Amino acid sequence: MFLLSFFRVIKFSLQDISRNIWLSLVTIIIIILALVSINLLLVVKVISSTAIDAVKEKIDISLYLKSEAEESKILALKAKVSNLVQVEDVKYVPKQIALESFKQKHKDNPEILQALIELGKNPLSPSLVIKPKDVNQYDELIANLNKIDDDIIESRNFDDRKVVLEKINSITNKVSEVGMFISIIFVFITLLVVYNAIRVTIYTHRTEIGIMKLVGASNWFIRAPYLVSSLAYTLIGISATVVIFYLFLSLLQPYLEAFFIGYNFNIITYFNSHFLLIFGSEFLVATLINFFASLVAVNKYSKV
Amino acid sequence: MINLHNISKIYSPDIKALQQINLHIKPGEFVSIVGQSGTGKTTLVKLLIGEEQPSQGKIIIGGWDITKISQKERPILRRQIGVVFQDFKLLYKKTLLENVAFALQVCGHAPKKIKSIAPQVMKIVGLENKMHRYPQQVSGGEQQRAVIARALVHCPKILLADEPTGNLDSINTDEIIELLQKINKFGTTVILVTHNREVVNKLRKRVITLENGMIINDQAVGKYLL
Repeated sequence: MFLLSFFRVIKFSLQDISRNIWLSLVTIIIIILALVSINLLLVVKVISSTAIDAVKEKIDISLYLKSEAEESKILALKAKVSNLVQVEDVKYVPKQIALESFKQKHKDNPEILQALIELGKNPLSPSLVIKPKDVNQYDELIANLNKIDDDIIESRNFDDRKVVLEKINSITNKVSEVGMFISIIFVFITLLVVYNAIRVTIYTHRTEIGIMKLVGASNWFIRAPYLVSSLAYTLIGISATVVIFYLFLSLLQPYLEAFFIGYNFNIITYFNSHFLLIFGSEFLVATLINFFASLVAVNKYSKV
Repeated sequence: MINLHNISKIYSPDIKALQQINLHIKPGEFVSIVGQSGTGKTTLVKLLIGEEQPSQGKIIIGGWDITKISQKERPILRRQIGVVFQDFKLLYKKTLLENVAFALQVCGHAPKKIKSIAPQVMKIVGLENKMHRYPQQVSGGEQQRAVIARALVHCPKILLADEPTGNLDSINTDEIIELLQKINKFGTTVILVTHNREVVNKLRKRVITLENGMIINDQAVGKYLL
């Protein structure tokens, strides 16, 4: 008997959706808008964190040494710097290698190359390229490097890339905040629209509900079709969001590839590997919200 | 069968729909409840089907105290009491047969059982040839017959008819009253709420007269007094 009633509930629910097709469509579209805005926010987060990682990878500190510094002293200094807790890695760049990489970097600039030839000697100094362990310890590392007093150190080039990083972080946070605000608005609108859709459906079915009550239909049998409808709205909404969003991602991917050259970044792969977590949790949350809105509407308006 | 002890329904100090109603209806009785508009007849019906709860007193139906009936228990009560209203309350997108079947569907009966019971009940009320028509394609009397058929599908012990002939002409009225008498002869307790003097006088059954929410007359073989 329960199974039979369950199938009848599904049947009545599908009838409700098809008989109020425009209202159903509006409800589904609002759900899609809310989910797309949330996923867009996620894309922004993924892209910005990848960009920050890329910038982090590029952050290093160069310690320029005197041209005539002895190899043994340089290696001793390298060991000293490596021992600092904030240091991940130290790379020694001899002046010859520095010159080669300089030539490589400016291979398309004949004026610079010509100037080098005219100079007749290697003007570059050997250096120690220091990679910090954590960008947040950047200040401490610079302070420690400043404490090292060694006469082979010619100059300390501490490009303050941290400012750039902070700026990116601040932009990302602002984008996240705005995205979160938009998402909350959409979630709120979804809540209202679903609530209203169910309320209007109940209003149009008040005679039927009244008759159901009159002939002894149980309360759950009267309410269940509306709750099933809300579940169906969510299911259709999330499925449509998946289709629309993957189309959007496939259009976005070529631009991201061009932007993150050499970083092997693929937003589609990211969404594929987190599919269940992202869309599963969105489905759960949307179902809970819609179910809650429907439950309130059903309890309030099914008392015909 | 039905016992009402000191029943009062007070909506506000100024609106006292029913006051100190004491009533006993035996199984298989045919009772007419009469009174002018606003005397509490419909409130009494609402109390009997559990749509409202009394402010005071106790209602017992078939040994079951329904005074403070819960939401969960209400559908069980409704399956034991068939109700017929003046405004039919039929679904106009369903045929007469589908309307009757709907009452069984929403209570979880199997399709096989519905297919066998619904046409039988349609036959009892004399609609076997019109059961596939829509409500708007038949007369008011036939619509009311379909409503009675729907009320009968659960084989109720009690049939409550609240002004069932209010929208009908005299010929259809007679047919409906005859049908109610026929149902009563099968053993169903029939409570007819009406203000149709002719109907009540012709029936020669028990008549309870309400005035200002109080029973002013209860005769075993009564007439319309007001």
